[in-house]
Amino acid sequence: MLSYILRRIVATLPVMAIVALFVFSLLYIAPGDPAVVIAGDQASPEDVERIRQSLGLDRPFLIQFGSWVWRLLHGDLGTSIFTNLPVSTMIGQRLGPTLSLMVITLLLTIVVAVPLGVVAAWKAGSFIDRAIMGFAVFGFSLPVFVVGYVLAYVFALQLEWLPVQGYTPLNQGFWPWLQNLILPAIALGCVYIALVARITRAAMLEVLQQDYIRTAKAKGLGQGGILFIHALKNAAVPIVTVIGIGIALLIGGAVVTESVFAIPGLGRLTIDAILRRDYPVIQGIVLLFSFVYVLVNLMIDVTYTLVDPRIRY
Amino acid sequence: MDRRTVLKGLAGASGLALTGGLSAPAIAQGASARTLRFVPQANLANFDPIWGTQYVVRNAAALVWDTLYGVDSSLVPQRQMVESEEVTDDGMTWTFKLRSGLKFHDGAPVLSKDVVASLNRWAARDPMGLMLKAIQQELTAVDDRTFKWVLKQPFPKLLYALAKNNSPCAFIMPERIAQTDPFKQISDYVGSGPMKFVTGEWVPGAKAVFEKFADYAPRQEKASWLAGGKQILIDRIEWVIMPDPATAAAALQNGEIDWWENPIADLVPVLKKNKNINVDIGDPLGNIGSFRMNFLYPPFNDVRARRAVLMAMSQEDYMRALVGDDDSLWKPLPGFFTPDTPLYTEVGGEILKGRRDLDAAKKLLAESGYSGQPVTCLVAQDQPITKAMGDVTADLLKKLGMNVDFVATDWGTVGSRRAQKTPPGQGGWNMFHTWHAGADCINPAPYTAIRANGDKAWFGWPTSAGTEKEVTSWFEAKNLDEEKAAIGRLNTAAMDDVVYAPTGFFLSYTAWRKNVSGVTKGPLPFFWGVSKTA
Repeated sequence: MLSYILRRIVATLPVMAIVALFVFSLLYIAPGDPAVVIAGDQASPEDVERIRQSLGLDRPFLIQFGSWVWRLLHGDLGTSIFTNLPVSTMIGQRLGPTLSLMVITLLLTIVVAVPLGVVAAWKAGSFIDRAIMGFAVFGFSLPVFVVGYVLAYVFALQLEWLPVQGYTPLNQGFWPWLQNLILPAIALGCVYIALVARITRAAMLEVLQQDYIRTAKAKGLGQGGILFIHALKNAAVPIVTVIGIGIALLIGGAVVTESVFAIPGLGRLTIDAILRRDYPVIQGIVLLFSFVYVLVNLMIDVTYTLVDPRIRY
Repeated sequence: MDRRTVLKGLAGASGLALTGGLSAPAIAQGASARTLRFVPQANLANFDPIWGTQYVVRNAAALVWDTLYGVDSSLVPQRQMVESEEVTDDGMTWTFKLRSGLKFHDGAPVLSKDVVASLNRWAARDPMGLMLKAIQQELTAVDDRTFKWVLKQPFPKLLYALAKNNSPCAFIMPERIAQTDPFKQISDYVGSGPMKFVTGEWVPGAKAVFEKFADYAPRQEKASWLAGGKQILIDRIEWVIMPDPATAAAALQNGEIDWWENPIADLVPVLKKNKNINVDIGDPLGNIGSFRMNFLYPPFNDVRARRAVLMAMSQEDYMRALVGDDDSLWKPLPGFFTPDTPLYTEVGGEILKGRRDLDAAKKLLAESGYSGQPVTCLVAQDQPITKAMGDVTADLLKKLGMNVDFVATDWGTVGSRRAQKTPPGQGGWNMFHTWHAGADCINPAPYTAIRANGDKAWFGWPTSAGTEKEVTSWFEAKNLDEEKAAIGRLNTAAMDDVVYAPTGFFLSYTAWRKNVSGVTKGPLPFFWGVSKTA
């Protein structure tokens, strides 16, 4: 197993290299020019050109790419064109809010979606099943920003239970941290909950028709034990897979959620960087997200061995 | 139903609910009365007011760095860091003396050498600074508090150049910082202004924090815009960046923020209904909407085609698309200068007045030789102002019988594509939309967009000898009457040659909670004199 994990980690290197080349090339050919944004609307073309030169944006593609890769190999993600801050510092400033939002959303999803899917499968065809699947369709259909605004209106403006916006770091207290994340996590989690609940239901339906479930029932085991110990464990592989894939959904959804709830996370940093053509920041974030995604896939593969002893690497 | 409709509806509903008398939540009430939470017009992405000339940077910089002079609300330069000045009879040697007791945030005194270095850096990036540099013989420190500027010819607008409020302002920095290449960004934010920048709490795109500078020595005069005593009555200002207007509206209603610089027009009715919120025009100098036509290529290389567009366009259509039905937010603008400022004129602007004559415009367009070639019209969709104006222009051009190649793109792309001088079919363009801050259009000095010196002019590269001649006349004018006469002639020449097409003058609101007092109208948010109660 250890050698498998090591092999997989080594295998991420070419993936990251391809991502790096792809991102750099894409940004190079994309329209737009950070020098124009920096220079401001009143700047002369000469001012813009001088800024381009000072940023090194007038150099040939290969030289720019080579110097970026060289710095990358030395652990330097570069410096933001606009803020003059190291990209690693900027990512570090934004990592906490995004990680907090994703963790809370992930927990919320697992706690809500898996039991919903199990119950829907157990009561397949009943009113409860239809209600849960109806909710799933609803969750899939509603855009994150609509859910966000409705939640803010009801729970912040009307009921005054929670704040409209912002983020408080965990070191300033658990409740202040959590209260800023509840509404965004629900908004972001809606699609995710719907997805996981549907997959859980489908996987459970298949497992519940297996002979060993009938045997368990014949032995007189309780319903809870059958569902959550025997059936759920055997249905876990697709559920774990979809939870992992869903992290990509979360990354995409965080961009909108962080804007709606004014959370200073990586999603907002990404949007700001793209709109301003802050190339080093975009490259740094995409590399980070790619790495996270590769890592999550590895964790999913490792988790398979924990939930299904038949899987060996 | 689009996203904008949804957010408007929700914000509206929330506003109605709060109008019913709901109090601010406990969460909001805990905030300190000594801290002002402010939502600026844009993200403070960098903090070098010479390197980056965005207005949001200037607005923040005005807290941290002081200027030698500052314009008051009458746009007259007043002494700020300077105690006195002398000028020789020939107008070519200026000697300035700094006020005593001026200190930087690191405790060092403000010296003449700091001023000289700062002015050198500023002059390399500012249009008026460049003009000064071109006629400068020497700029030297005489002693710690005295410096001398010797010119090769008189420059009557020198004090205005040092006092002006448009970007880049002549901010004074410590010599070690001001020696940075003007095309490279500074990373040390020490100034001598009334507030210190808290670098450790700066999260670009999210938050910027300023703390009161205890050793700041304000002038004794009453504050007026950038002039007078900059008395700071709060300990800390937090700039909170909120990209979503609906969130900012909700946060203001909820008491989570105190002041929102630029609420969008769609949400203003909601804010006006809230009894805890004041809403008023923020910047009386407003903005001038515009689109520019490329002088290098057909059809707009022919003045008749440009005039045809002016003859047909309705500024009311543009302004209503921008600000809706609120008539207090716009004015027609048959000229190029900011309304209600000393040099405003409508002389020569007849082509934009009265009933629009589409038939005459079509005839003139035909005379120009236009024969249906595509007109590449760049429109940034991510900027509400350009998007609204672009839609009106597309309709206008179609009514004129033009073949519109409507390029819907983002502002970043427009910014780089408009610099292309290649033909429209090869990456160039025929038209693009933008707008100018009214503060930049009060006279020709900061007004890059009015210049018409061909290759050296702003994008579109207009050529108008008459316009250029009158720009020079204005710089040489010795009194207001001479300035007004020059501007009248300039307006006529620029309109005749259609240097650009003004689409109208528009204003925007600012909104703040009623426990905040001292908010004044101005071209930037002035924090001196602003106080807050719990």
